[in-house]
Amino acid sequence: MDLPHFLTSGMGGIRTAGDLVARMEYDPKHKMHIKDAKAYVAKKLGVSVLDIADESVMRDLREELGIGVCTGVPGAPRGIAAKMNIEKLLDIEINSCKIFREKTQKN
Amino acid sequence: MKKEVFKLAFEAETKNIHDAMIAVMVPGIVKSVNEAVAAGMDPNDIINTMGDAMSEVGVMFERGKLFLPHVLSAAAGMTKAMEILTPLMQNESGSTEKKASVVMGTVEGDVHDIGKSICSTMLQCAGYDIHDLGRDVPKQKFIDEVKGGCTYCGMSALMTTTMTVMKEVIDMLEAEGVRGNVKVLVGGAPITQGYADKIGADIYGESASETTRKVKATS
Amino acid sequence: MAFYTRMGDGKRVEMTREAIIDDIRAGMADAADMGGIPDLTEDDIAIITDIVACNDRMVGVAPGEEIVLTYDIGQLDFTGDNGNSGNGVDMGRLEAALLHERALGADTFELAHSDYSIKPVKPVISMEMQTMEEIQAEIVAPYFYGAMPNCGLYYAPDGPYGNPADLMREFKIDEAMAAAEAAADHVARDIEYVTTRLIQAGADGFNFDTTGSAGDADCVGTLNGVRMLREACPDAYINVGMAGESVMGIHGMIEFDGQIVAGLYPHQQVKLAQKAGASVFGAVCNTNTSKSLAWNLGRSVTFIKECVNQAEIPVHVDMGMGVGGIPMLETPPIDAVSRCNKAMVEVAHVDGV
Repeated sequence: MDLPHFLTSGMGGIRTAGDLVARMEYDPKHKMHIKDAKAYVAKKLGVSVLDIADESVMRDLREELGIGVCTGVPGAPRGIAAKMNIEKLLDIEINSCKIFREKTQKN
Repeated sequence: MKKEVFKLAFEAETKNIHDAMIAVMVPGIVKSVNEAVAAGMDPNDIINTMGDAMSEVGVMFERGKLFLPHVLSAAAGMTKAMEILTPLMQNESGSTEKKASVVMGTVEGDVHDIGKSICSTMLQCAGYDIHDLGRDVPKQKFIDEVKGGCTYCGMSALMTTTMTVMKEVIDMLEAEGVRGNVKVLVGGAPITQGYADKIGADIYGESASETTRKVKATS
Repeated sequence: MAFYTRMGDGKRVEMTREAIIDDIRAGMADAADMGGIPDLTEDDIAIITDIVACNDRMVGVAPGEEIVLTYDIGQLDFTGDNGNSGNGVDMGRLEAALLHERALGADTFELAHSDYSIKPVKPVISMEMQTMEEIQAEIVAPYFYGAMPNCGLYYAPDGPYGNPADLMREFKIDEAMAAAEAAADHVARDIEYVTTRLIQAGADGFNFDTTGSAGDADCVGTLNGVRMLREACPDAYINVGMAGESVMGIHGMIEFDGQIVAGLYPHQQVKLAQKAGASVFGAVCNTNTSKSLAWNLGRSVTFIKECVNQAEIPVHVDMGMGVGGIPMLETPPIDAVSRCNKAMVEVAHVDGV
């Protein structure tokens, strides 16, 4: 069930920029519809709307920006580290990063 | 010919009963039935008119135009009306028995209740004697109810892991020698006509009103 | 010429182009009548016809037209048994999350309890919070907690309140309504308890799955819970996904924000979800197993298109087994899944699936 949906119309998650577009739809300060969300992400990444679902563009771009990749790259930011870079890139706040900062800046 | 004359003769009363049922208000239903009786309309025809309207109420429930309390209110009105009609019918034919007895339940291992309960309610509203055993019903309880006189056995399942129990109950009915005494009806989200055919059920209901319509057609 | 297509139970069937068009129109007419909503346009019908009548095994949207793919039910789609359409492959919740993120193209994913209901999460909330913290440290994609409000667990024999369906069969309508209202209040309190703690543990948000599954009181309780969550956690991502195309009127009169919710269709449901504070609305249309894929798709797209038209927030259509035109089958044929998906993107213009 998952795969036919992915293959038919899925953005591609962290293979491309699907996670970033999803954040712009869900972020309560934005609640963007799909076209606006894609345009916003494309602008922030400095690429076209066609590029943000294109693995050949996004694979290297994600690694360069340190926003998480779907292949095993030792040393590349992932988890909270990658999400902190996404926060800066998209100009949003991510809950897990906010909590991480609160915990690490206590003293 | 006689039927056409009847229709013309009691057209206004029939319409009033029908409209009162669709309006689902108990006093209105009772008033329309009293007026029909006073006008000389046959109690059996009054009941049939209410029954047809009740089927419409069921369809309206499924299409989101009426809700369960409305269905129950119409049924309550019908019950009140029966209190008026029963003495008249006993005078005429001596019989006002309920329609067939139906055992209903969600099968063993499955705790989903709502769809089955709505189906039970619709069948009750259609005049059937409902023995609703609830959910997670042990298989033997269905068999016991059939042996006790239920001529319809309704089983619901909401999971593909539990729908197989329906076949086990049908096999038990066969083994106990009572399969021929009962019509088996099945429903629930994963159930299809194909599955009902595969396990040898008699009736598949896509919805509560479809189930009721099919049960009525076979009784 | 006959085309290879499907029935609502997944069985293969051959239909002519004319029969496909007739069924799309009939399904559309049924939705328009039920919901009091506009028909599809002739262009819409032509697009759906071409999608259904395509001879290819899979179809797809044009590059640049992709949409967000939101996964529900968490790890259960691997670990669950066939009762909840899982594969029966046991694995940890971290592995499931990273597999969805890195191999299955999930744009979002979620953590879930094996019962997938709010109520059983309460006694294990600390465990769920720890797991959320651990997975948030590894995952990149938005990661929710997901559960069904499942008001049914608050009625007898599982909960403290009388079962409305049983009470109504005894014509105790007022008692049934009171029980439903009490259960709605209770589920709202439990939602606030569970969701706010998971947000404290780092969850990006909460996915309310199958809202209204136990009827209109379930829907109202959930929306009140969503409102509490939004007030407590203004930045939370909130997905309100529905159980069916119409809210079942078990109570009949219960209201959210002055609006009776029973009988509301997707284009009306979304407005209440917005008011409650949802970020994204999950619209549903149920599949009729006795009708064709063309009929079900015509009907589903009609409902969902109007919902998208009237929504201020993004709409993700629910496209699991037995919804969104997809056949009711544990292993839905991929040709059918692919066609339904494409039609929802190109005709209903959904923001996600």
